[in-house]
Amino acid sequence: MLTANPEADLEAALADWRKFRRRKRLADIHWIDAAYQAYLTAVVGGAIFGVASGFIGDNELSPEAVARLLRHADAWVGMVAALVIGVGLRSGSRGGPVALERAEVRHVLLAPVDRTTALLGPALRQARFLFFVGIVGGAMAGFLASQRLPGSPGQWFAVGALAGATLVGLSVGAAHLANGIGIPRWVGSLLSVILVGLAIADGLGAGVPSPTAAFGRLALWPVRFDGWGVAPIVVAVVLMGIGLRLVGNTPLEAAERRSTLVGQLRFAATLQDVRTVLVLRRQLAMELPRLRPWFTVRVKGTGRSPVFVRGLRGVLRWPAARVARMGLLAVVAGGALRAVWAGTTPMILLAGAAAFVAALDAVEPLAQEVDHPSRRDSIPMESGELHLRHVPIAVLVMVLFGIVAAVMAGVPGPGQVPGDVASLLALPLACGGVGGALVSVLGGPPSSSDTWNLVPPEVAGMRLAFRTAWPPAIAILGAVPVLLARTVLNKHQPATSGASVGSMGVLALFVLVAGWVRVRARIGEWWQTQMSMAKQLPANTADDNERDEA
Amino acid sequence: MSEPVLVATEVTKSYGDLVALHPMDLTVLAGQMVALVGHNGSGKSTFLKLASGLLDMSGGEITVAGSPAGSAEARAAVSYLPDDPVLYDDLSVREHLAYVAALHGAERTEEELDALIGKVGLSHRADDLPARFSRGLRQKASIALGLVRPFELLLVDEPFVGLDAPGKEALLGVLDDLHRAGASVVVATHDPSFVERVERCVALRDGEVVHDGPATAADVLRLVGA
Repeated sequence: MLTANPEADLEAALADWRKFRRRKRLADIHWIDAAYQAYLTAVVGGAIFGVASGFIGDNELSPEAVARLLRHADAWVGMVAALVIGVGLRSGSRGGPVALERAEVRHVLLAPVDRTTALLGPALRQARFLFFVGIVGGAMAGFLASQRLPGSPGQWFAVGALAGATLVGLSVGAAHLANGIGIPRWVGSLLSVILVGLAIADGLGAGVPSPTAAFGRLALWPVRFDGWGVAPIVVAVVLMGIGLRLVGNTPLEAAERRSTLVGQLRFAATLQDVRTVLVLRRQLAMELPRLRPWFTVRVKGTGRSPVFVRGLRGVLRWPAARVARMGLLAVVAGGALRAVWAGTTPMILLAGAAAFVAALDAVEPLAQEVDHPSRRDSIPMESGELHLRHVPIAVLVMVLFGIVAAVMAGVPGPGQVPGDVASLLALPLACGGVGGALVSVLGGPPSSSDTWNLVPPEVAGMRLAFRTAWPPAIAILGAVPVLLARTVLNKHQPATSGASVGSMGVLALFVLVAGWVRVRARIGEWWQTQMSMAKQLPANTADDNERDEA
Repeated sequence: MSEPVLVATEVTKSYGDLVALHPMDLTVLAGQMVALVGHNGSGKSTFLKLASGLLDMSGGEITVAGSPAGSAEARAAVSYLPDDPVLYDDLSVREHLAYVAALHGAERTEEELDALIGKVGLSHRADDLPARFSRGLRQKASIALGLVRPFELLLVDEPFVGLDAPGKEALLGVLDDLHRAGASVVVATHDPSFVERVERCVALRDGEVVHDGPATAADVLRLVGA
């Protein structure tokens, strides 16, 4: 039988083969493709920077405004760090942050090669890329902050880059450490919630110290130097050092699961397939439906509303993590509504985005029909009718979401929305979110279908951009009533009148979306017929010409 | 008496509330060829993945050649052939074999690699990318990868799925050769006829061993309804 050479240097062999594969991959990349990718990145980055710059403005804040801002700014900036560290902890408790090729898991990690050596290379490459993103993103954020806050642009630029790198170090280091010591998934989630909760409590001035506030102090160095700002840098270095030493402890089961899902997730994200990204992200987080529902719905026989009951049963099997995420998103939406009410208009985007993401979960029963069209089409009911019957359960879930958001908006404190106005915000927020999610799920990923081949590329491009932006835009429109209420109040009229008018507008839009859900299949069929007729037209004309010539 | 190569003691695997494998004991001796049979979801693939180190046990212990499953020593001793061939996108069949052999410290000449490629019937595709192959050809490439490296225990999961009749005959011949050469082989299969080629059949039903010993195809159908 074949035997192994006991003197063989397996780790050196692995390094040689990885170099060989890298050379092969690089040889396959044409410099024009690489330059085009760099060009696209620069254009998109520049556009984001320009839009963010426009939102922030360039009038320096007054000393009073700066003093007011700085009162709890470290806690709120620290909340960003808490969120990012939380993502790292959750990823680490699920075998992250490294995601290898599946073949690497099967052939390298199952070989008697030292696993720390095998995993250190991919871990360092991933960290190098993330540090680059963190430094560039931090520097850009610092530069934007320099437009409104005291301190030179150079200082803000440098501190922003340092803070971005520190943030990446904290998150990636926490992920590697959590993975290396093998913390259970629930502990990762719990620690994340505690960190974010402490940051929110500190930001609201509850007198609870938040550990991530030190990161805020680092990020605000150009305004006010604080020695505590060094602490997160030290912690990030220590976390990265220890975490990378433990990278070899990565469990193969988790590595295998991640290798499969992360590849699909990247592909789906490239195609802007929101639904697939959502499903794969759930699988990656091992977010499985409960075996036993929160409580059982008893229906005699088949019941009168089987589609609604099916949706309700699905919702009652939601795992605790999804329920908690909905709650957190509702709190975020409520906080954003408060900020809009207080005058920070761009926060309307955050409120709408939170409702959109939550509604993508709420329309899950309908989305499953879209995922399995053959099963759906086996039901003796028009697909539009079936889809429409799934809408009420989504609205019900999102109304609960809207109520939590409205309560959060109406809680006494800075930026409090008056109770009568807040109570008018729940329904439009819910309907806007559901409307956006319905369009996103039923529309599917933006694609250039055959039926659109005849239109000019410019029109097809605009259609693609519209299809991408329209679903979240509907959700954002759901948050507009708070903006109208504020505008009307500034004109010394009752704020509720503005909120009411806005709500009616959103509800009218929702009715239109529901109507589209009902008839979209018929519209699609009609459109297909028109386009196929248009395609046949040139052929007929040619036949006619031949006949004429004969 | 032969030394045990694989010893599983009270091994369990659960996914939350779902029990994939009840406490299971199994010992495979050096040079034994064992058929692991059972219906879908009976725990065959789960057991092989646990023994190869690809899955973490919920309880119990598995040793391979005296070392805990998943340790470097056990990984050197066990070769696992999965039911879903997993291959690199950018390496040819020949490069795959050279890579995997190098990772296991096996010094293989070009002639030896060619002979192995010929044995699985891929000589005409040796320099092609297997990621673009059909299911059956990828399965053949995966079989070659399992055999290119040294091992004491070969774990094979549903090897006949996707293979044509000549491919299946070739694989059966390879397994017989390995058995004669003294390797221990455990084959998880739905194919009841395979059990008549082996001296020992272990039948699983819902994660529990319901038979361990010689068996005929009829016995298997009666035991697990495979």
